[in-house]
Amino acid sequence: MTRQFTLAACLALVPLVLPVSAQDVPAAPSPTPQTPQAAASAATTTAEQPTHTPLTGDAATGRQLTYTCQGCHGVEGYRNIYPHYHVPMIGGQSPEYLVNALHEYKRGTRRHPTMQAQAQSFTDQDIADIAAFLSELSK
Amino acid sequence: MRRGLRTLPALAALCLLVACGGQQHDPEAEASAGSSSAGLPKGSLEGGEAAANLKSAATGQTCIDCHGAGGNAPLDATYPKIGGQYRDYLAHALQAYRDGDREHALMSQQAAGLSDQQIADLAVYFASQQRQLRDLRGAHDR
Repeated sequence: MTRQFTLAACLALVPLVLPVSAQDVPAAPSPTPQTPQAAASAATTTAEQPTHTPLTGDAATGRQLTYTCQGCHGVEGYRNIYPHYHVPMIGGQSPEYLVNALHEYKRGTRRHPTMQAQAQSFTDQDIADIAAFLSELSK
Repeated sequence: MRRGLRTLPALAALCLLVACGGQQHDPEAEASAGSSSAGLPKGSLEGGEAAANLKSAATGQTCIDCHGAGGNAPLDATYPKIGGQYRDYLAHALQAYRDGDREHALMSQQAAGLSDQQIADLAVYFASQQRQLRDLRGAHDR
């Protein structure tokens, strides 16, 4: 696991430290149990993909929160060091996908040192805001 | 004082960064649609197209069934667009699902039976499709 703590982690953590420490709210993550509706709609999404109370994201706030993301997701050809792969393009993904991804990192069910650290610093509302901004980016 | 304490970790991270050396862009890996650092074989576009339309025994679904044509028309809002996404990231994601490092009710099953060759092929195929995604370059400029 430590082997994955790469340069990318260093890079992203630098900007993380300052702005975020101030707003280190004890996040109240609420992986709410699945609503019957969601469970029905998805034989697909099941228990391990808890549905989060859909918060309305504010793209303008998300814009402010995502400056840090550019350190990895905004550099052309930027790669994760180990394993070695391009950091994914995330602009234009759906808010639902982005919200899930960040919550998975926050819970630790999706693993990446930098992304887990980032996600843990975000409140549920932050995550909704970030997803709103990123999903509205068009090519 | 508080400010000093706060900047300490940042400084430490910076030192580490310097010690690690700069971020590398790897033109060689960029160019090759083939082998990756993850040790996958060279992917084939034709193989990938076939695999993308092959129903998984575990889920009864093809990639296209859920991610849509070209990987750009997801059936459900929680499914990502994968058309035009980086080949090596796609391969990494499939490997992570297969190896249990990433979990999803469908994708974990879908990936469980994939060979390295199929992962390489699928990654080449979806990376070659039209791209609707973008990175964050210039995203904050307007």
